[in-house]
Formats: sequence, C-alpha cells, structure tokens
Amino acid sequence: MFQYDAIDRAMVADRNAEFRDQVGRRLTGELTEDQFKPLRLMNGLYLQLHSYMLRVAIPYGALTSAKMRALAHVARRWDKGYGHFTTRQNIQFHWIRLSDTPDVLDYLATAELHAIQTSGNCIRNTTSDPFAGAAAEEVDDPRVWSEVIRQWSTFHPEFTYLPRKFKIAVTASPQDRTAARAHDIGLVVRRNREGRLGFEVIVGGGMGRTPYIGATIREHLPAEHLLSYLTAILRVYNRFGRRDNLYKARIKILVASLGAAEFGRLVDEAWDGMDRPRADLPDVELARIRASFGLVDFRTLPPRSERFEAARADKAFARFARNNIVPHKIPGYGIVQVSLKGIGEVPGDCSADQMDALADLAERYGHGEIRVTHEQNLVLPHVALDDAPAVHEGLAAMGLATPNINLVSDMIACPGLDYCALANARAIPIAQAISETFADPDRAEAVGELKIKISGCINACGHHHVGHIGILGVDKKGEEFYQLTLGGSGAEDAAIGHVLGPALAADRVADAIDKLVDAYLAIRQPQERFLDTYRRTGVGPFKAAVYQDAHQA
Amino acid sequence: MTASLKVLTANDLAGGQVVFRSGTGWSDRYADAWIFEDAAAADAALDAARAATLTLADPYLIDVAAVDGLPVPTSYRERIRALGPTIHPDMGPQAEGGALVRALQQAQGAARSSGRLGLIRRK
Repeated sequence: MFQYDAIDRAMVADRNAEFRDQVGRRLTGELTEDQFKPLRLMNGLYLQLHSYMLRVAIPYGALTSAKMRALAHVARRWDKGYGHFTTRQNIQFHWIRLSDTPDVLDYLATAELHAIQTSGNCIRNTTSDPFAGAAAEEVDDPRVWSEVIRQWSTFHPEFTYLPRKFKIAVTASPQDRTAARAHDIGLVVRRNREGRLGFEVIVGGGMGRTPYIGATIREHLPAEHLLSYLTAILRVYNRFGRRDNLYKARIKILVASLGAAEFGRLVDEAWDGMDRPRADLPDVELARIRASFGLVDFRTLPPRSERFEAARADKAFARFARNNIVPHKIPGYGIVQVSLKGIGEVPGDCSADQMDALADLAERYGHGEIRVTHEQNLVLPHVALDDAPAVHEGLAAMGLATPNINLVSDMIACPGLDYCALANARAIPIAQAISETFADPDRAEAVGELKIKISGCINACGHHHVGHIGILGVDKKGEEFYQLTLGGSGAEDAAIGHVLGPALAADRVADAIDKLVDAYLAIRQPQERFLDTYRRTGVGPFKAAVYQDAHQA
Repeated sequence: MTASLKVLTANDLAGGQVVFRSGTGWSDRYADAWIFEDAAAADAALDAARAATLTLADPYLIDVAAVDGLPVPTSYRERIRALGPTIHPDMGPQAEGGALVRALQQAQGAARSSGRLGLIRRK
C-alpha cells in the first residue's frame, strides 16, 4: 500500500489550512457564496438536497484498516453514523456541516485521506481494479500506474480548469472491473509480442446525456511514455474541448465530433512536439512507487484448504463461497467480495459499525487491505481460504454476508432524489423494491449474472447506460417515471443499452424487471447470461414481456 | 385551490440544513413556514434572504397548494426536501411526524419546483 512521503503530507496539510481559511472567510462574510462555491467544490463539499455532502477520495479504491476506521469515525462523529460508497470508488457523507468541514478534513489527513480530486473540472480520482495485486490474470499491478497518475494529476496547474471534469480508469486484467471504456480515458495494461509493458489507450467514453463507448487511439503505448502521452491528450482536450456549452464539454463530444482517428492524430502531433523526457516519469520514481505495492506477506499454503472445503457443508457458507469468493493469484488464498446490497438495503451504504467490523476482519484475516468497487461493494483482496469461514461468520454478524455478487439484487443505484439536488427521481426505493422481488437466493442464483444499474437523472451516476438492464428516472409531467434500457455493459464487452419502450410508473418497475427475467429464463440457451440472450434475440421477446398488457404504461 | 401560494426556503449556511422563512425568522420545520399569498411580499422576502449571505445559502421560492386545508409543496422534489430522505423516515424534519408531515408524504403528482428552475437559470 502506498504511503505518503513528507511532500504528500505537506500538500494535504497546506490544502486543508487554505480551505479552513476560506471557510472562515465565508462564514464571516468576506467571501460571497458565488466566490466561495467553486472553492468549496474543489474540496469535495457539495450543497445537496438536505445538507452539505462531503465526498472523500479513495484513490483507486484502495483502503487500509486504519483508513476504514477513520471513515467510521467521521461517520459517527460528524455525520449520522453511515457513509455511502459511490460508483466512483469514493465515499460520500451526506450530512456534514460546513462549519465542521475543516476539522473533518484535518482528521482525515491523519489517516492519509482527503477530498482532493472529488469535484471540479480537474482530473478526478483514478478508477482501478479492486482485485489489483490479487487477480491471477493481471499483467501488472494497476495501482502502480494509478498512483503515478495521482501524483502527476494532483493540483496539476495546466489541468485544473479543464472544460469539464475528467476521469481516467486503469485496468490490467482481461476482465474489466473498472468500466474503462466508459471513462474519458481508459488504460488497459498489456504486454505486446516482445513482452514490453504498455497501454491500450481508449479515449472519449462516458455516460451522461450523450453516452459513448470510448475509441482506442493507440493499441500499445510503451509504459514509460504514459505521462507524456496523457499530457498530449489533455492538451488537445484543453485546447479544443468546448467551453461554451456545459453539455458538450466532455472529451467524448470532442472525440465524436473530430472522429477518433483525427483526435489521435492531433494527440500524436502534440506528443511529437513535446519534451518527452521532461514529461515522463523518471525510472527511479516509478521504482519507488512500485516498491510500495506488493509488500503483502503471503504464506505458502496448499491450493486446497480442508477447512474451507469442510465449511461448505454449511449451506449459507457454500452459497457465499460460490457467489462472493473468487480465486486469488496465490495458492490457498481467495478474494472475498463484500456485498453492500443487502436485501432491501440502500446500495452502497455502510454503517460506522460495519466499517469498524470490516477494518477488524481485514486486519485479522486480510493483511489490512480493503478495496472499494465501482459497483458499490467492498473487497477483502487477500484472505487465506482457511480463514474464509471465519470471515464469513464475521461478515454475517454485521449483516454483510449477502451472497449476491453479480446477481440481480447486486444493483448500482445513485443516491437519487432522496439526497441529490440534481436528481429527477428517486433511485434507491426502486433498487429496494427490485431487491425484495428477488429476495429468494435460489432464484437469484438460477437467474445468474445480471447487472441492473439505476440513475435518478440523465447525469447517469448510476451507470444505467451500461447496465444489462438500465433504469433511468425521469420527471414525466411532475411524476417519477422510469425508462428501461437493455443490453448495456460496462465490462470488457462494453456497450450502451437501448431503450425498451415508454417509461413506467414507479410502482411498475420491479414487476417489469420480474417479467424481463421470466422472459429471459424462458428463452435462454445453456450458459447464456441475460445479456447474451438479449444480444442473440434482440429486444422483441423482452418488449413483449413488459408491454403485452400495455396501454397501462 | 388558491392561486400562487409561496413558501421561501434556503439552506442554513453553516449547517447546510433546509430552512424555511417563518413568521418571525427562519425555522428548520416546514410546519413553521410562512405562506405568502402575495407575490410582491414573497419577492421582497426573497430579496431580503438573498441579502442575508452570512446565514443563508441558495434561497428560493417554492409553490405550495392547499390540500385539505394544509399547505403542501406542489413538486415532489420540494416535498422530499421538506421531509427528509424517504428511505430514512427517522431523518430530517419528517421524524417529528404529525398531520402536515403525513399530508406531504401522501401528496401526489404536480410539477417540479419552479423556484429551483429559477435558481438554476440564475447560475
């Protein structure tokens, strides 16, 4: 796990002191709201529907037990005892007071946490693979490159006032757990035929009101040129990206209007004209960053754990093991996924007590590491299979052992109109209703992988465009309605979903999902996921299932 | 239904909580909200709220309508804002319960807050 050096510490301390001064000047009237608002946003503090919300960065989704305990403390002392893990691997506290924020930030800094890069038109917190350092098939540790990007982009003077916010994802596995193709830049670490490490560079993906799957502008960028090439991309965007229209300001619009080939040519032109050795990371710094990861003290274990196998006699553990534990690169270890999607619960919410319990479990059984996923779950990346039954027991005691990873009730939902000032409709109650509909774990397992993603407005924080089933809340003549899309994916087979038909009233959504699932079960072929069946058959049978008794739509 | 009843709302600057202009000052209970029947008086109160930059953030007027004699915001957004998150009935002003809270919880339909749209336009 990367540790701050003196420079990192000083940077965060300076920033916090500066913001404390700004908050003080706002409260005494020296700064107007119009002057203060952009400053507040650059420190992750939003004014939402009911209160201020503080978004705390979790760089590339990596937490330690100590950091998790710090989050629990913030939740308890300055909030209402819980936090909300977001679709960007961050955490939001929904009830923070402006006047407390400087103290909250100072406290977070003691655990090497901050709210930098969580808002504003800068390069935001980099998304990465929650299985980093644990996945067997990964080419390299993506956290190394995410940390390189973090250091390069934090307070980058040239890229602090971009046309719009900018999100980068780094993945190093064939299975994409970062939604790389839905980011402004997606980086896929690969080795070429000569074995050289490099990146497939994907640009111009994004969600919002104009969704795009990103286009590859370079198949294999040599890894040592990452920063100069990123600089070239950002320069082209900073120069040509639109600043006259908020809705056309993201890089995806620029890439789409120029075409990926022309955009790539402009990037190459900027890159060729650059003093690359000056822009690229020195090898010695890369080595320092690399050395700070990969220090996990794994034991030598037999690949098969007798204790693990014996525990499978317990039905609940067997189900948990089937759905929530996946193989680790080290024999005898597993990656334990912790669902924050308890049946009827709020997706992504975690109480302070749950955070503390997770910190304890990670410390005792998981080398002190916890990861946050963009699907609003948590991961204990390094658990010896021998310890998995004890971890399961500990999770179950805290209501955290829901065995539904990647199943129908493992939904993404944005906070929606229950919290968010931008939302048109609520998202969480829809998720809760669907979750209750599929509460039977046998049925959920029979349905198999099905990713439902719910957004309360077209800004698409709930990633509905890339849901196998996407649900978008809209305001239809003053009432909450929900538009369904089918066939999206945020994984390596990324795609934007297609609208199924007229929007549905809130109380019809869960039933419609039920009908879609029944339609799928009736026509699926062996080994087909919901998404595969949809891709084979097209929308026909699904549309019929939802709208056959229509006219009530 | 009386035409164009208004309530003036804002967020408390230091705390962030939702507040309403009452008969005497500002309250975090919707039940205390002053119902403006006169558009000019509502606008004047809004101007005064905008000037109160030391205590308030983002003041705006919302539309309310009398439902069974109780003043209910016409947009569901403003009803949720006046109540607290619907998923946590124990949080926000709705926790205290009562007839008015129930009226807001049971109200249906109506358009989005015109006051908020004005706020967005202003930005």
